[in-house]
Amino acid sequence: MKIKDQHMWIPFVFPGTLLLVLVLGFPAIQSILYSIYPEGGGSSYTFSNYSVLFKDSIFRQVFGNTALFVTLSVASHILLGLGVALILNKEIFAKPLFRLIALLPWVVPDVVAGIIWKWMYDPIYGALNDLLIKVGLISTHIPWLYNPRLALLSVVFVNLWRGFPFVMLILLAGLQSIPRVLYEAAAIDGASRWQLFSRITLPSLKKMFVVALALDIVWEVRRFGLIQAMTQGGPGTITEVLSTYIYKQYFQFFRFEYASAVSVIMTIALLMISLPYIWMISQEE
Amino acid sequence: MYGVLILVSIYALLPFIWMLSTSLKTEAEAFRVPPTWIPIEPTLYAYIYMWVKKNFGIYFLNSTIISLATAVLSTFFGALAGYGFSRFMFNGRKFLIGFFLATQMLPGVLLVGPYFKILSKLGLYDTRTGLIIAFLTICLPFSTWMMKGFIDRVPDALDQAALVDGCSRLGVFFRVILPISAPGMVATIIFAFLLAWGDLLWVICLTSTESMVTVTLGIARTVGEFRIIWPMLMSGALMGGMPAIILYLLLQRLLVQGLTAGAVKE
Repeated sequence: MKIKDQHMWIPFVFPGTLLLVLVLGFPAIQSILYSIYPEGGGSSYTFSNYSVLFKDSIFRQVFGNTALFVTLSVASHILLGLGVALILNKEIFAKPLFRLIALLPWVVPDVVAGIIWKWMYDPIYGALNDLLIKVGLISTHIPWLYNPRLALLSVVFVNLWRGFPFVMLILLAGLQSIPRVLYEAAAIDGASRWQLFSRITLPSLKKMFVVALALDIVWEVRRFGLIQAMTQGGPGTITEVLSTYIYKQYFQFFRFEYASAVSVIMTIALLMISLPYIWMISQEE
Repeated sequence: MYGVLILVSIYALLPFIWMLSTSLKTEAEAFRVPPTWIPIEPTLYAYIYMWVKKNFGIYFLNSTIISLATAVLSTFFGALAGYGFSRFMFNGRKFLIGFFLATQMLPGVLLVGPYFKILSKLGLYDTRTGLIIAFLTICLPFSTWMMKGFIDRVPDALDQAALVDGCSRLGVFFRVILPISAPGMVATIIFAFLLAWGDLLWVICLTSTESMVTVTLGIARTVGEFRIIWPMLMSGALMGGMPAIILYLLLQRLLVQGLTAGAVKE
């Protein structure tokens, strides 16, 4: 029961909002302003940074890399997360232990995840090649992070390891809230297992899917530490994503105005992706 | 079914085992072909080296101070705002909620450029304070949302009872709501702490001297070095991930609850 109170909300909401506007809103506006300044100084406004950006083939590759990276990561997160959640939703021996283990990769910082796997992926001294050779799956050492065709997939595989637990947790919570009676009633009516899954489970999970999807997509578009630690965007620009690219433009090439423009594009994309989610949540309140 | 779980468990645990194993090796053994999984000559040399010769203590101190300060600050202001959103209907409420949500979607790279310039002007570049302010951009919206979720679950009747007894709204907040949602606050502080702890982008952009390096930066820098001494790096990785792992193992239930509380609506 909420109280329609004229002014008492202000001392509660105001400090946080003010802080947010100062530390976040204000610099964000600054960034937009930088992006419409010409490179190399000058005082007039111009959209030249944006036209340069759209014509730049490296930017287009980076954008494509990011889209590919995010799509593969999120899709794999959902597949593995849903799979494990479905299993953990049943009566399993040692369920708490499995759930504990499954969550572990998500807990550590992504920089840590990145360097552990960089070492695992080491062509000569690393664990992965060692195991695969011992098991007989491969016969020569594979340069996972150096082969242009394998590098992005290798990074995605690590991102799967790091990221699926969150999706699994969200979906598991959703699964656990589906009343058993629905399944029992449908089973009595002669529903097949596939029908139980597609007609009861999936629709009930719709909201959880939206939450998991929205959050995961946004997080993966922003992923920085993992890739920076493993490949720094290499080899070449094979694993360069928007975040590492913008970082380089700012702090390696000092192209402040250009970097701002790219980051504004990235922000617009992120806001467009998350708008349905933001709308849904705020309307529910 | 169990087969899948076991496979997933191996997938999840193997890298940790490899990290631990390498961290206990000598440099020579780390470069053995084929690699050993159980060190033949186990040693704590890597750990000692990191603390004594490589300033790991400073990195750890910086990470802890910065992350803790951000976590506490953001949780406090987040609780205030969360209470306001939870208990009051006012014009523009949905818009403000949407605003808080939208700010969580902004990428760090949008802000690092302006932050570099602004902090430099304020003399806060390459300082812990500067980083704490920067981390608020990550932690404040997050903490607000988490605390609102926890406060939503505290029955309004408690507010009413206290108000009837003559308590002011602020009094209700400090004397009724905060104590009751203490577990939620702890969970939020821990989450915010881990969020800040694991960041790389801000620290790599807003620091320049050795004295301000954090754990994540210390690790990331080593990767760019010409010759990586893997036992050292793996011991750094383990120590860097330790706070998260320990907090997780100790407070698992609390963390899981907190995480799903934000997503599941009763």
